[in-house]
Amino acid sequence: MISPDLGGTPPARLPREAFVALAVLAALWETLARLSPALGIPAFAVPSLVRIGEALTKITPLDVAVTLARVLGALAASFALGVAGAVVMYLSQTADRYAKPIVRLLMAVPVVSWILFAILWFRWVEFRIGFVLVVVCAPVFLIDILDAMKGVSRELREMVRSFRPTRVQFFVKLMLPATLPAILTSWKINLSLAIRVVTIAELVGAVTGIGHQLAVAQELFSVANVFAWTLVLVVLLFALEAAVNWLEHRLLRWRT
Amino acid sequence: MSAPAPIEVAGLRKVYRQTTTGEAVTAIQQLDFRIEPGEVVAIVGQTGCGKSTFFDILIGLEAPTAGSIEIGGRTPYGDFDGFRGRIATVFQQDRLLPWRSALDNVRLGLEMLGLPEAQQVERSREWLARLGLGDFLQAYPHELSGGMRQRVAIARAFAVQPGILLADEAFGHLDEVTASQLRDEFVGLARANGATAVLITHQLEEAIGIGNRILVFGKPATLLADVRLDGYGADDTALLREAIQATLQTNRIDPRLLQ
Repeated sequence: MISPDLGGTPPARLPREAFVALAVLAALWETLARLSPALGIPAFAVPSLVRIGEALTKITPLDVAVTLARVLGALAASFALGVAGAVVMYLSQTADRYAKPIVRLLMAVPVVSWILFAILWFRWVEFRIGFVLVVVCAPVFLIDILDAMKGVSRELREMVRSFRPTRVQFFVKLMLPATLPAILTSWKINLSLAIRVVTIAELVGAVTGIGHQLAVAQELFSVANVFAWTLVLVVLLFALEAAVNWLEHRLLRWRT
Repeated sequence: MSAPAPIEVAGLRKVYRQTTTGEAVTAIQQLDFRIEPGEVVAIVGQTGCGKSTFFDILIGLEAPTAGSIEIGGRTPYGDFDGFRGRIATVFQQDRLLPWRSALDNVRLGLEMLGLPEAQQVERSREWLARLGLGDFLQAYPHELSGGMRQRVAIARAFAVQPGILLADEAFGHLDEVTASQLRDEFVGLARANGATAVLITHQLEEAIGIGNRILVFGKPATLLADVRLDGYGADDTALLREAIQATLQTNRIDPRLLQ
């Protein structure tokens, strides 16, 4: 029967409890910052909220934009590669059998190793960072999308095939919408992964971006700056996740 | 509507090889019969007798091991695209796409045919209205009852105006009142549109009540009996039921069906 609400579940908003918890954490931090000299902790190690706030005002938007562009550009490329690989492996069992061990191997290599390989193999900094992000994120997209495609029920596949679609129609009208929830979940996972990876890559081998600014702050022993840039990273991740959640809410409103 | 054509089944055989053991399993032993255009035929048989395998070959989703099914001289498997819009199916479960509204589910087959969007919408609305769902065009499947969902599935099949309509145990999972109503609507609409209809069922009452003809399958699928219902009166229902039941149980044609 028709339910009164056809709009689906609204996207999650920050509950009051979250605000309270964050306020308590901030108060505890401020208390620790004020008591640190008496506790024998160096004052620079636990900066007050005021000092962190001052550091936040000195955040350079260009570095944030550079990191964001690197993350989104690399994720777009990883997604395209992941989709292409998943479609080929879905259509060909032979390709699936040969490619899957390689993909699993790529996923098992630690991020730090990829960064070292990138530094040793490539001279251009942007290519190094892009390479590391793509080699880490593309296999995750590929496996998530391939699993979702294989999970589309035989009943629905037979039903759609009974109308004799072209290959393109089959993918556009069945496989794409059926795998959309998994695709969006994979984007959320990869956003979080990419933010972490890009930070390490920039920390080691870049002269711009949030990771580079973190390295500068560490060289200057500025814990307040480290805090400020870390906060920017966390807010950036939350903002990107919120964007995907909004998209999810718009595209998957058919779900209860 | 696409022109109805005879369905000719000749020497049809299907053997599977089990993926785990590699053992050969015969799903269809041998089938030979012909269904004329406009006939309403019920196929009955025990569970696991190969009815659904026959159904998959008839739709063109599977190739036979030997023999053939030809519709108007062409095979649905070999000439897969050539049958676009000529065969439509109502499955055991409604198999609606959960992300599409009732209207968009009915549009699915019309999209495959490449009809203009306005025509797709108009025809889908019309069929949903004919099946009593005119007020539920934008409802998603999870917002509809089981009977309503199956009505959408029927509308989806009829909307492409096929010459051949197939139903695979399409009403067996519904309550008796809804099932009977939908069955009558399905057969009535098929007749009104001059389509050939083939219904697979394991319920004898359903088979006797709907068609001109009942094909009784043995296990593995062979044609045990081809019962023309115009030779029987309304008083013969009980006799027919008993005779078909006996045929299914013994896997041999009951003499009462030889008249």
